[in-house]
Parts: sequence; structure tokens; C-alpha cells
Amino acid sequence: MTRSDAPRKIRGQVEYGADLSRPGMLWGALVPAPIAHGRIVRLDLKRARGLPGVVAVVGPKEAQALLPKGGGDPERPLFPTSEIAYAGQPVAAVAAETLAAAHAAARAVSVATEPSPVQLEIDAIFPEWPGAEARNSPFVTAHVHAKSGDVEAELGSADLLHSEIYRTSGVVQMALEPHACLAEVAKGEWFVRTSTQTPFGVREDAAGILGIPESTLRVEGTWVGGGFGGKGAALLEPFALVLAAATERPVKLTLSYPEEFRLARSTMPAVVRMETAVRRGEITARRVRMLLDTGASLPGRDFATGYAIGFLLGPYRVGTFELEGYALRTNKPPFGPHRAPFAPQCAFIAESHLDGLARKLGVDPVAFRWKLAWTEGVTTPLGQRVGPFGLPAALAKARTLVDEWRRSLPSGHGIGVGCGFWSTNTGAGGEARLRLTPSELVIEEAEWEIGSGSVVEGLVAVAARVTGLPAQAIRVQPQDTDHAPFDSGVFGSRTVGALGQAVQRAAEKLLKALADRVKVHSTPHLELSDGGIEMVQGKSHHRVESLFTAAERKAGGIVAEGRHYGAGGKIDERRVLDGTFYPYTDFTASVHVAQVDVDRETGQVRVVRSAAFLDAGVLIDRPGARAQAEGAYAMGLGTALTEETMWTPDGRLANPNLLDYRVPTSGEVPPLAVEFIEGFPGAGPFGAKGIGEPPIIPIPAAIANAVADATGARVYELPLTPERVARALKLL
Amino acid sequence: MDLHAIPEDERLLDTLRWRLGLRGTKDGCRSGGCGACTVWVDGRSVLSCLTLAHELEGGSVQTIETIDSDPTGHRVVEAFEAEDAVQCGYCTPGFVMAIAGLLKERPHEPELSGVLENLEGNLCRCTGYAAIARAVERARRGAP
Repeated sequence: MTRSDAPRKIRGQVEYGADLSRPGMLWGALVPAPIAHGRIVRLDLKRARGLPGVVAVVGPKEAQALLPKGGGDPERPLFPTSEIAYAGQPVAAVAAETLAAAHAAARAVSVATEPSPVQLEIDAIFPEWPGAEARNSPFVTAHVHAKSGDVEAELGSADLLHSEIYRTSGVVQMALEPHACLAEVAKGEWFVRTSTQTPFGVREDAAGILGIPESTLRVEGTWVGGGFGGKGAALLEPFALVLAAATERPVKLTLSYPEEFRLARSTMPAVVRMETAVRRGEITARRVRMLLDTGASLPGRDFATGYAIGFLLGPYRVGTFELEGYALRTNKPPFGPHRAPFAPQCAFIAESHLDGLARKLGVDPVAFRWKLAWTEGVTTPLGQRVGPFGLPAALAKARTLVDEWRRSLPSGHGIGVGCGFWSTNTGAGGEARLRLTPSELVIEEAEWEIGSGSVVEGLVAVAARVTGLPAQAIRVQPQDTDHAPFDSGVFGSRTVGALGQAVQRAAEKLLKALADRVKVHSTPHLELSDGGIEMVQGKSHHRVESLFTAAERKAGGIVAEGRHYGAGGKIDERRVLDGTFYPYTDFTASVHVAQVDVDRETGQVRVVRSAAFLDAGVLIDRPGARAQAEGAYAMGLGTALTEETMWTPDGRLANPNLLDYRVPTSGEVPPLAVEFIEGFPGAGPFGAKGIGEPPIIPIPAAIANAVADATGARVYELPLTPERVARALKLL
Repeated sequence: MDLHAIPEDERLLDTLRWRLGLRGTKDGCRSGGCGACTVWVDGRSVLSCLTLAHELEGGSVQTIETIDSDPTGHRVVEAFEAEDAVQCGYCTPGFVMAIAGLLKERPHEPELSGVLENLEGNLCRCTGYAAIARAVERARRGAP
């Protein structure tokens, strides 16, 4: 089994955004704001302009002159005109003949500033849970609030109130390929090729930021060297486009790794208060209160809050509950999605809390959760009906495994279990166009492969399953935004689940159109023979070419389009008091079991082995699904144990490099057993569920629970660094 | 090539990618932390981001573009294909160069873990190293 893109990738033959090149190309660089908060008093571009090889230096005034309407959305200025919102915020950009000349020019721009107080810690904004004063707070960018039943009364009358505060840290996507793009502007036509998870998203964002009509901007993807959520919305493209407009030459812009750490929208730290009321051994009410640090994000970007907070109650039945969350603005860079945005952090909190409660009640933590777990047909706290859901089945397997591991558990080791759920984020829908030629089936769409295989393997597998053609007769041909039908992007584990449905419908339409031409009324399939592709129905074979109209023969094939509308469930709005909660589309369960060894002197946690039980619906690409589980494991270990953005008191990222921000290396990933829980179909083609994100969700939770099992001490903050574990063990 | 035309502070990585157009060698962290830019100089693995082109007077450089012409390199490439040890692929050429370089240097390394420990300078964010480890094991044993 070889992935179709593997031979070329292994030999270095595919072109990523970072590899793009054009004759006469200039190199761009960004000028970072030297402080995290304050006013720009003077921006002096003169010295930079005079340096050798420099072709253009563009600040806010120059950009205004270059853009047809002088700029775009005032909420998202290209460069800040007065107030700096975070350290490293681009305040100007340069283009030069070489990368070295561009960096020298960027350093030569002088930025005089008047600093203001820097807001970094969300605890400091509201030391107590915010009340009415939050309504007018300049720091609050979103508020969500939902409840059902009399929470106060239940909390007040509990015979056990389990109340805890948890914290999580910022995590960087750290794809190996940095963000990179190449822009060209001529005669009012704007064009950018970029390493992105969402070409249409970049078009919308970049056009909005620049104030140009979307119809004048063409975006084309490239092979993507890893995304993990970091290559979603526009980031570099507006800067590269404005530099191309200024110089009338192609401009390449690539982030350095330190810039990648600072600017590429890592995920959000949070503080969460968890309260659970118990009467006579049964949970009677739960209250979750979350403060989410969204950095210098803009108002209205509340999706993270309304989507993430639902994960904090976990995939469990609950009667009386209250959920309340605030998104808070700080002087950190704007934060963004990272593989299963915020769900691993939420699962760490939710699962630590319930595991601890089970231990307090003296019951088995796995059995405790199994009893509460959602099954098909139950209603979620926000009023959605749960579809086929493999959590109880996965937990039953996990329990058997835990018993087996316990029988030979070395002294000092512990075993923990984590559960999580996910929902394919279908986005705003999408379309795909299929072109059947005499010899191949081509899938024309906007998305480029980001690495998971969901485009080059997943979409092909869907088309193969509908048509009967072998994968080698099917090819994906990504197109730019002027030519491809609209699609939302490669994110939210949606590629196979949502875009795959568009491919499925297009393929079905194609077969029907062919069948109609020979008056076949049952569904035919396609076969690849020596002479080309044939339509087969019973014993009758037709070369597809012979069924083409004259126009189709001239155009090289027959075309069919399929569409998938972004589809979600419905929230019970009677439970919503404020803000927007986002419904989940379908329900995917993942369970992780980890065995750890904790060093009682240093607090160092070593994961010994792990097992993943994953409900992935009907598997479309089994090796690909296993690869996602294995990849998520290493990333989840990083989130659990080592990865954390750290800030200096004046608001600079203190560890923007691979030495101080530690991602797992090849010797640090212990063995993982993967088992798929089948029989719980999702909404995707043939019952597929998204698999890119769910496997990472329960990993930090399982490891934290294993540490508690090994030591009896609970760590309330991610990641579980030796220092935090040592504190929990009272060694420090 | 004539090294005199190249600025003294130019990294081998940039010479390969932008003067010679050999962009199969990947540009990652540029500070020796990710391994994506691994090439061979006189048959040994080096990080081209930390090597100045000027240091190579009289030396020979081999990159991923000609990997199939080296028997060990070809074996590693085939092992990567057989095990699907690639996702986004950005780290892959660097891994292939590093693994093949190591197997040439230590053809009789008895333990898989011995090879993997020496790959800690090569980062992969997609595969969790599991498929890469399977490819290393396959390449170590030779084609089945």
C-alpha cells in the first residue's frame, strides 16, 4: 500500500509554498512591533529604503495609497495606524532582491513607540468570576451562557461539592513547513499562491483586509507541509499582495520559525472552574465557568468560545447544568485553531474532574464514566440528539485492557483513561466537480493535500467506492478560486465527511447521466480496461467515450458537479441565555488508555505505553485512519507533557524556538495500539466520520489520570511538566 | 560549482535551493533544530542550514534529488513507500537522507532503537514517527 503522493514527496519532488519561485521574484519581510501594547509615535522607513537591494518599504500610509479604497475592514487593519496590539505585530513590510537584504531592511525600519500597560494574564482581568461589570469591559470579546434547571439550589444542597480550578497553556501547531506565499499583481488583478488549508477562506479574508472585491483576487493553493489548523485564514497573503502591488513584481513571503511561533495563531490558554454536586452518590448538577485567552483577536471571533465550552461537560448525561464562558482580549498575538481546537484541553479538564470525583466516591473511574456516557438517542446538555456513538463500546474495551495491564503493573506506575468527543465541522459546505475522460476520472476542487491524505486518498476512495473504478484511474486536480467550485477548506476533519459527500453526489450524478444515455435503469459501475474506461451494467459494456456527446468529446469528457451544504444539528435555544453556541454535526468518540511511570524525585512523567479506541464510523481509508491516530499520539504527548508558550512580563514570547518549545522527537513516542470501534456510522459518505482530530482529544486527559493513579496527586495545569508534577507531589 | 561567486555567509541550504534550484532539500527552522535540510557532504549527513557553502571547497554534496542512485538511499526510499511513512512530506527528504546516511555509516547497528535515537534531530509533526520507525526497520533488514 503506497499513498499516491508518497513516491514524489519522499524524493523531494513536490512544490510546497516555501518552494515557490518566479523569474524576477523579490523577497519580502515583515517589520515587527517592538512592544506588546502602546502607540506608534513615529515610523521611519527612510533608512531601510536606502539600503542596497531594497525595492519597496510599505507602511500604513504607503499601503493606503496602493489600495483602491485605501484599505479594508477597519477592524482588521493591514498595519496598525496607531495602537499596537501585541509584540511582533507587523507594522510595515519590505521587498528586496534577496532574503538577506529584506531582513536587513526590516531591521533598519525604526519604530518609535509610547508603551501602555500590557495585559497578559486572564486571571488578572477578573480575579473573581466576572459579574455585571463584564458587560462593559474592553477585554471581553465574547460571552456565552447556557443553563438548565436550578443550578444554585442543587449546588447548595449537595452532600458533596467537587469544586476545582484548572489551567491550560498555549500550544503551537508547529507544522514543519512555515507559512509561505507568492503574490503577483498586475492591471488590477491580484493573485496569490499560498500554502493554505482554505483557498476560498484566504480569498475572503485577504480581500476583506485589503478592501478589494473578491472577484479581483485569485487564490491558488500549493502542497501544504502540515497545517494542524494553523494554515486556515489569511495570514501572510495580504502583506505579500500589497508588496507585489508596490513593486509590480512577484513577491515571495515566508515566515521564519521565530515568526511562526509568534504570528501563526497558536491555541488559547484558559482558566476553568469546574463544580459538580453529588447527592447520595449521584451527580445532581454541574457548573462550568471558563475564561479563554484569545490574544489580540478581533471582536466577533467568538466561535472558539461557543464551540469549545460544550466539550467541558464531556460526552456525558447531565440534568441540571450551567455553562458560562468569556473570551478575553490580551496583548498576545491573535490565537487560532490547533488540531481539534481546544478539545484536548477541555477533555483534560473534564476527565480529570470526573476521574477525581470517582476516586472521591470510591468507585471505579472507568465504570463511573461508562454509566454516564452518551448513547445513541440521548440528548446533549444543549439539546442535540446524539447519533450513532461508540463511546460505551470503546469504554468497555478500555476497561478490559486496564484490568489486563493492572495485573502486571510495575510498582510506581499508574494507568489512566481519557474520553473525548468530536464533531465533524462541515463549515459552510462545499462543491466538487468530476470530469470523466476516456481514460481517467478527475476530481476538480479547491483543496490541496495538507498531509493527512484526506484529499489525495480520501476523496479518491469515495469516488472509487461510488464508481467502482480503481484508485489509480482517479486523480485529484486542485484548481484556483477562479476555476474550482467553492469549498470551505481542509479543517475540522471535514474533508472526507463533507467535501467527500460532494464528490459522492457528483459521482452518482455522473453514473446516472451515463446510464440514461443507454436507457439503463439500474445503477451501472465503471471499469478500467485496456482500451479505456467502460460503463458496465450486467453483461453490457460500453466504452464511456462512445457515450459522450460531440461537445463532451471536444471538451475531453463528461462533467458532473456535486454539492454538500454545511449541515449541523440544532441547539435548544431555550437553554441559551447569551451568546452563540454552535451545534455539533455528528458525534465521534475517542478513548485513550495510558500507562505512566512518574519519577518521585524529579516529577518527570514517562509514558510507558498507550492504546487508542476510536469510533471512526465506517472507515473509508483504514491505513490513513491509523496514520492519523499515530500522528495525533505524538502531538497529544506534546500537549500533555512539554508544549507550552511562555511570555515575558512585557509580553514577548519567551520560547519561540525548538530548543525551548519542546515537541516530541522520534525516541520519545512510546508504543501505541490502535483499535477502531466500528458499527457507529456518521453523516459522511457511506457512514464515514472525520478522523484527523478525534484521536488527539483524550490523550492529555488519559496521561493526567494515569499520573493521579500512580501518585495519588492531581495536576491541575497543562502541560504536566516535571515542575508541576513535583509541586503536586509536594516536592517543591 | 565555483564557490567564489557566492557570498561568504551563504548557507549551503540557500545555495542548493536558490542558486541550483534543488528545492527537494527543505527549508525549516534554519537553526539546526528540525533536520528537514539534511544532505550528505562527502557521504556523511550534515545540516545544510548550519553549513556555509564556502566550507565545502573541493567537497561533494549529495541531495535527495539523486537519492535513488545510491543503493542504501534507494533502499530507504522503497521502505518509506512500502510503509507509507509520509504524510505532509516536508520532513521526509531530510529523514531519508539522515536514515540512509546512518545505515551507510553503521550497516550492522543491532538495534532499531539505536537508529531512532540518532534521528532525534529530525522532527516530524504528522506521523508520530511510527511509520518512519517501521520504514527504518524494513530498510535495516534489506528488501524482503
